[in-house]
Amino acid sequence: MNAERQRTKKSSALGLMKYALLIVAVLAALLPVYWLLTISLKSEVDQFAVPPLWFAFKPTWAHYYETFFVRPFGRYLLTSSIVALTSTALALLIGTLAAYSLARFTLPANLHERISFWIISTRMFPPIVTIVPLFLMMRDLRLLNTLPALIIVYTGFNLPFVVWMMRGFFEELPRDLEEAAMVDGDSRMGALVRVILPLVAPGLAATAIFCLIICWNEFLFALILTQTDSAITMPVGIAGRVTQYEIKWGAMSAAGVVAMIPILVFALAVQRYLVRGLSLGAVKG
Amino acid sequence: MSVTFEEVVKKFGSVVAVDRLNLKIESGEFVVLLGPSGCGKTTSLRMIAGLEEASDGRILIGETCVNGIPPRYRDVAMVFQSYALYPHMTVEENIAYPLRVRKIERAQIAKRVHHVAGLLGINELLRRKPRELSGGQRQRVALARAIVREPRVYLMDEPLSNLDAKLRVQMRGELKRLQYELGTTTVYVTHDQAEAMTLAHRVAIMEGGHLQQFDTPLTIYERPTNKFVAGFIGSPSMNFLEGSIAETERRFSNRDFSLPFDEQKLSRLRGHQRVTLGVRPEDVRIATEEREGSFPAKVYVTELMGNETFVFLKLGEEKIVARTHPDVRLEIEATVWLSFDERKLHFFDAASGKRIEI
Repeated sequence: MNAERQRTKKSSALGLMKYALLIVAVLAALLPVYWLLTISLKSEVDQFAVPPLWFAFKPTWAHYYETFFVRPFGRYLLTSSIVALTSTALALLIGTLAAYSLARFTLPANLHERISFWIISTRMFPPIVTIVPLFLMMRDLRLLNTLPALIIVYTGFNLPFVVWMMRGFFEELPRDLEEAAMVDGDSRMGALVRVILPLVAPGLAATAIFCLIICWNEFLFALILTQTDSAITMPVGIAGRVTQYEIKWGAMSAAGVVAMIPILVFALAVQRYLVRGLSLGAVKG
Repeated sequence: MSVTFEEVVKKFGSVVAVDRLNLKIESGEFVVLLGPSGCGKTTSLRMIAGLEEASDGRILIGETCVNGIPPRYRDVAMVFQSYALYPHMTVEENIAYPLRVRKIERAQIAKRVHHVAGLLGINELLRRKPRELSGGQRQRVALARAIVREPRVYLMDEPLSNLDAKLRVQMRGELKRLQYELGTTTVYVTHDQAEAMTLAHRVAIMEGGHLQQFDTPLTIYERPTNKFVAGFIGSPSMNFLEGSIAETERRFSNRDFSLPFDEQKLSRLRGHQRVTLGVRPEDVRIATEEREGSFPAKVYVTELMGNETFVFLKLGEEKIVARTHPDVRLEIEATVWLSFDERKLHFFDAASGKRIEI
């Protein structure tokens, strides 16, 4: 009886601690977002008030107005969307096929493992070391200040991750499934499209989010390869609000809030696919 | 449609999985490839399906050499050990898949799917997903998917091994009946000798990549071609006793016992230095009193099975199993007198393991 009471006491203490930790984690994740949101709605005076104004301030839409109507931030968003979506689609298309081949075929001299390692090794040095050669190449190709420049660079940048992530998902699937499909009369490509890809859809979704986030937030390459309003992306546009004379915190925050929305919506939309377990019941029981 | 292996070799790197396999499976025949794991039976099956390419030799389906032809053009159907049902499709879509990829018209597909579903008694399951099915139901869906297309050959890779014992025996019977009704050539891989004996018209026993014997179950049981086959078929296994022929005394003898042989046996065994005597458990007789030609042994342990009793005996250093009537009751360490059914003795050359015909 006594022991039982002690145990319940102990477990309730543990439960409390669990919630306390969760609250800390949630605050750590959400406070900056809240701060961003409030700054985007605060007048410049309120932004620097001490002590900070957490709730009581007079909201203003001035920063949003400036961002979208004075500066062409809508255009940057469009550029960012095109670049992110196109390069993600390209990286998924090329990377998935490569990953499937590397997962399913063995090459002589263990070449499939070596190639896989070589692919990931291209991400082992800091990206900044490639920036000068890339700049020179894009200049010679007359692609500076164009979207294709960014699309090509981001696709190449994301490919190693796509290959490695998708390869893992493919390797988890039993070979029996595509072999059954091929004996049933399908080509390997048909088996891949009709049987394998639906089963790795959660993996594809996770990989797609990953690529999109990277492209959406990428700053360094975009800064170097594009300078004109027609080609710069959202992060470069935001950074452009740090001017010679002042830092436009309100405008930057307003842009940041808007920039967060698309990724958030996309993540919520594919959340269902992120939950694994679709391939349960495929094999044995 | 017949299936023929001509001098087929399959190597994985330096490992030879199948070594110069020659096998002719007749049209409409039910052939079981039987052997321990790693004997090359599954590899052989996968070579018929086109999932593995032969390193050498030819494989024919009917009169056509299928080497290098991709699986989808071979017109064979395969049932996998794991069933390999497509988890994201319903049962109906699973069964329809082979027809769908062949661009058969919708109405026709529905008709045929419902026909085979009826044949296998899974009409009520058509809307379900594979994960909602029991093992036995999945097995039926896998069969239905193979049957729906009316292929030239069925290939089955240990299709019953994931079922529980009772269901396995039931499905075994149903498979046999199904093959009888469809009359389609079937190649079936298993390591379970009971499945092989009950299902097959002919059994191909493989070991170490080599075909050991290809014959009817009864012939394999009664006249195993070598010691491996003799020991592999039959449960409990055949007893082996190694010894030599003493010509002058007209006896087969070893340390622990000796058997008198007649002139005919002796003449056949002449020239073989060491001989292995094989005797099946049911051909070992046990008596509690000494008789002419019997020899003493000690009871090691007895196993009562209900319809029969296995008596494990120690004959000197060797162990011997006898299958006896269930009423036989023997104390452990009791001395009994053994004799063998002379007409049912098997002889193998001890060095090569090959059968010596008497």
